Amino acid sequence: MGLSLQILLPFFGGLAVLFAPRFGRDYERYGTIAVMALTLLVLIFSALNGDSGRWLQLVQADWAPSFGIQVLLAMDGLSAAMLAISSILGIVCVFISWEVTHRSAMYHAVICWTVAAANGVFLAFDLLVFAFFWELMIIPAFLLIGLWGHGNREHAAMKFLVFNAVAGLGLLAAVFWMGATAPEITFDAFVLSEAGYSTPVQVILLLGFALAFMVKLPVPPFHAWLPDAHTQAPTAGSILLAGLLLKTGAYGLFRFPPLLFPEGLMAVAPYGMALGAFGVVYGAILACGQVDAKRLIAYTSIAHMSIVLMGVCGGVHFALAGAGVEMIAHAFSSSALFLLIGALQHRTGTRDLRELGGLQKTAPAFATSFAVFFAAALAMPGTANFLGEALVITGMFQVNWAFAAIALVSLVVSVVYATRLIGAIVFGKPKSETAVFEDLKPYELWPIIALGAGTIVFGLFPQVLIGWLRPAIDAALLPLGVGAP
Amino acid sequence: MLAYLLLLVPLPPLGGFLLLALDPYRLDRRPVLALSLAAGIAPLVLFLPLAIAYFTGAVGDMIAPAFTLNFGQYEVALAMQLDPLSAIGASTVTVVASCVMIYAADYMSGARVADLRRFFALMNLFQAGMLSMVLAADSIVFFLGWELMGLCSFFLISYNMTSPRAFAAGQKAFVMTRIADAALLAGLLLLFLEATSVRMDELIPAGLAAEESRAAIIAVLLLVGALGKSAQLPFQTWLPTAMAGPTPVSALLHSATMVAAGAVLLARFAPLIEATPGVAAATAIAGVATALFGALCAIAQTDVKRLLAYSSISQIGYMLLAVGMGAPGVAMAHFVIHAFFKSLLFMAAGVLSHAGGGSTAIEKLRGTAYVAPISFATYTVGAAALAGFPILSAGWWSKEAILGAAVEAGPFGQFLWLVALGGAALTGVYAYRPVLCALRKPLHDAPKGHESWLAVAPLIFLAIMSVLGGYLVEPIIHEMGGHAPHAGLGIEVMGALAAITGLIGSVAVTFIPSWNARIKRARRLRAGMQMDAIYYAFLVRPYRRIVRLLSGRDGRLGKHIGEGPEAQEGGMGDPVGTATVVFGLWLARVVTAPFMPDRFDTVIMRGAREAQRAGLWTRRLQSGRLRDYALGFALGLGVLVILGWGMTWG
Repeated sequence: MGLSLQILLPFFGGLAVLFAPRFGRDYERYGTIAVMALTLLVLIFSALNGDSGRWLQLVQADWAPSFGIQVLLAMDGLSAAMLAISSILGIVCVFISWEVTHRSAMYHAVICWTVAAANGVFLAFDLLVFAFFWELMIIPAFLLIGLWGHGNREHAAMKFLVFNAVAGLGLLAAVFWMGATAPEITFDAFVLSEAGYSTPVQVILLLGFALAFMVKLPVPPFHAWLPDAHTQAPTAGSILLAGLLLKTGAYGLFRFPPLLFPEGLMAVAPYGMALGAFGVVYGAILACGQVDAKRLIAYTSIAHMSIVLMGVCGGVHFALAGAGVEMIAHAFSSSALFLLIGALQHRTGTRDLRELGGLQKTAPAFATSFAVFFAAALAMPGTANFLGEALVITGMFQVNWAFAAIALVSLVVSVVYATRLIGAIVFGKPKSETAVFEDLKPYELWPIIALGAGTIVFGLFPQVLIGWLRPAIDAALLPLGVGAP
Repeated sequence: MLAYLLLLVPLPPLGGFLLLALDPYRLDRRPVLALSLAAGIAPLVLFLPLAIAYFTGAVGDMIAPAFTLNFGQYEVALAMQLDPLSAIGASTVTVVASCVMIYAADYMSGARVADLRRFFALMNLFQAGMLSMVLAADSIVFFLGWELMGLCSFFLISYNMTSPRAFAAGQKAFVMTRIADAALLAGLLLLFLEATSVRMDELIPAGLAAEESRAAIIAVLLLVGALGKSAQLPFQTWLPTAMAGPTPVSALLHSATMVAAGAVLLARFAPLIEATPGVAAATAIAGVATALFGALCAIAQTDVKRLLAYSSISQIGYMLLAVGMGAPGVAMAHFVIHAFFKSLLFMAAGVLSHAGGGSTAIEKLRGTAYVAPISFATYTVGAAALAGFPILSAGWWSKEAILGAAVEAGPFGQFLWLVALGGAALTGVYAYRPVLCALRKPLHDAPKGHESWLAVAPLIFLAIMSVLGGYLVEPIIHEMGGHAPHAGLGIEVMGALAAITGLIGSVAVTFIPSWNARIKRARRLRAGMQMDAIYYAFLVRPYRRIVRLLSGRDGRLGKHIGEGPEAQEGGMGDPVGTATVVFGLWLARVVTAPFMPDRFDTVIMRGAREAQRAGLWTRRLQSGRLRDYALGFALGLGVLVILGWGMTWG
């Protein structure tokens, strides 16, 4: 029951939040925080009371037996980490949206539903239910961008919707085919993992899955929705996109292809790594050329998530561990950067790098926070981001040196765009937009401190994180025929 | 138990950084200075007893484990160690950094409190980085410290945050060193894969045991890492521009830390370098070429800080030569001596140029010798050490050791010795130029200025070390397990002659007007052979073109539709992403095209009319309020979920 609460609590919490304003001012905000905190508490409780085996918690019950649909929820360290991130980011979103008044109840309900759907993705092992949550996740995010976004928001929301819905078809088709061709109709991922498809079939099915995952990740050439969605989304939208939605893509890649299609994955892994390598360089180069701060960070997200793709396709212990760490690190660091840029836009009304500058004089707390995540963006040792990248590069050295070299190039280019970003915002003389700038308020500062602490603590003491991820990494490697090193 | 004292050494500066950066107490000027000084000098206080105990033999080599990470069979143990290299390196770093911090407390006293806080926070972090690098017993802590220095150098060089020039200098330093750092990281990771451990004492044997081609690649990667951080050819261009930072930054960066860190890296991994003769030769050649190049460029400088920057480039070239000749002990001896006199030179030059009106131009130093006599005297001592003034200066002893090591290394070494000897003579030519200039009568009004004791005290101490440090050279070489080269009296006389030739040359270029004018005309040499311009033309500009093209900012990839800054820029970038969108739209059109002149239209239209009627009724449901829709949607979904749940109870 604990696991289904991870989905049901935010879902019905979101419903309740809709009516919260009737009872008092700001009740929708307190309500959302309460729901998220409760979800987090339940998560901690069920993780602490978890089994020591492969899964911390496993829930299995029939849902619609005639269609082979089950409630099959399973949580290991990786899922737990992602669930924790989703609840924490939910709280962060409430904090930083304190000044959103337009349809405030609906806004907070949508945040809850995004979290609910993402939590479903992180838990479901019945493939049909997984696909259901996968599609469901798009809707609240679509609303968030389309209703509370900036500027060209309808365009961005449509682009987001079309890209993700079309890509979801690949996943859905593959899942239906697998369920229907099974001897006894089932969508149980563990049962289907023993179906024994031939390699060509596996490759085709994998491509269906991978299409959905790679669009969500996103990896070039499927990334065109992300820069638009990020720029036009409200701050909370950007945070949920970067911290949660992109991570579902990474999570899916991490979880399902090695489990369901090991041979297929082995067959296409070199192409996956090549695509990842291309994405790393392409994203980084384009990040150097942006004049819109949010767009710039969006392109860095593309580069970093491409590293995750490289890691997953690497198929060795280090690469997978790196992919896992990078996922979590990027959730922290990119959400924090979007939070800061959101604060900036709220105060100055612009994200144009050419109109900003000189914040070290007017807003020291902002400048200091920015410097921390600047270091994380360029993968400074001591941040979790470095750990992730270094592990992936180590894995690449075991697999193919060329990919390792390309990943190393990204380390250099990341300095170029990161210094460009901080140079345009924090350095320089204050301009007309930034001459009067209110420094970060406590409700913005606390989320930043939390995210910064996560980045640095996991960077310096990765033992905890690696320990959580171990079972998932080992399980992903087992079908590939690669034991622990 | 004593070993755990090691772990404490980098902590005070780290704590100082945290307190100053987060600033929970809103510290004012005096507390900031007091805190940062305490944090900066504490490592010396902590490490000095250890170092004394170590050098007197009271304690032996030791390793202090911090904590262990577990990656399956790979055990990653983070630790700090005390061995000859780390003892010598950390002693030097703590001593020199303490001097620089005391000097900086005076030098920066005019800054705003906020700037002061930032400056000292970064200086402390920088110290912590260098200390953890020197003391590291594993490649992770080593690289952590190495990169921390890179990050701090970026912020310190661009300390003057409103100046675009300073920012560009910091960015350039960061990017150039990061290129080398990427190579170093690759090298360390490859070593890690060979050794399945990160411990230094296991990495080096594993590197030696690796197959030949792989060992060579690792050695080359490590060498590249050192070249970048130490601003050796071909990475040297970032260092002269880095002079945009305040003087104490230069004094710390150039003497015992950042720039010299490359030498420490090579000394640490010297067995791997020596194991591959080609790489050892490359190290020596890179070193000697940089030594000569730096000296030549330094002669043509008209700015005392840039002159000192090129002298650092040149002097670290000598250290690389020593490593390449298989004498890392000699390199470390020069590292120590160089740290003393180079920090001295920068700090004394800072005082002198303040006295001369604030400009760092050599010409502007005229007459400052009479205003700031102590700084002038200490500068002279430092310059003598830099030029290797025979016997009296510490620099002579360490440089002779390097030259001797080259001579002993066979015919190839003797050729390099000849080049290095030429470099040594040139060193004299530039080293004394600011000294001689400061002695001349001022051109216009007499310069005004004063020397505060806070600034002068470290200068005097370092000047003493720059003289007496000669006694340290041989013990250091022995401590590092090498032997002091004795190449014979003839070689030593040659070295002395080179140094004296340099002094004469320096007098000549200062006082013979035509020679002086020749230096002023040497524009190409002054700009570092225009390597900067070459890099700009062949690397930076093409890169920027690619970036502008791909991001659509030059408008060659089609017009952007809509609004926002990217539309103002005029173009639609991201060709790969755009191609996907265009392809998708085309596909959608192609798929729907056959159905466009719709045959079933009429049938459907009839249906549509019926539907419209039904729609008129359902319109009542469509209140237009999104909240209602969401409610309906959510309720429906909830009912489904509950229904589904209900089935499971059966």
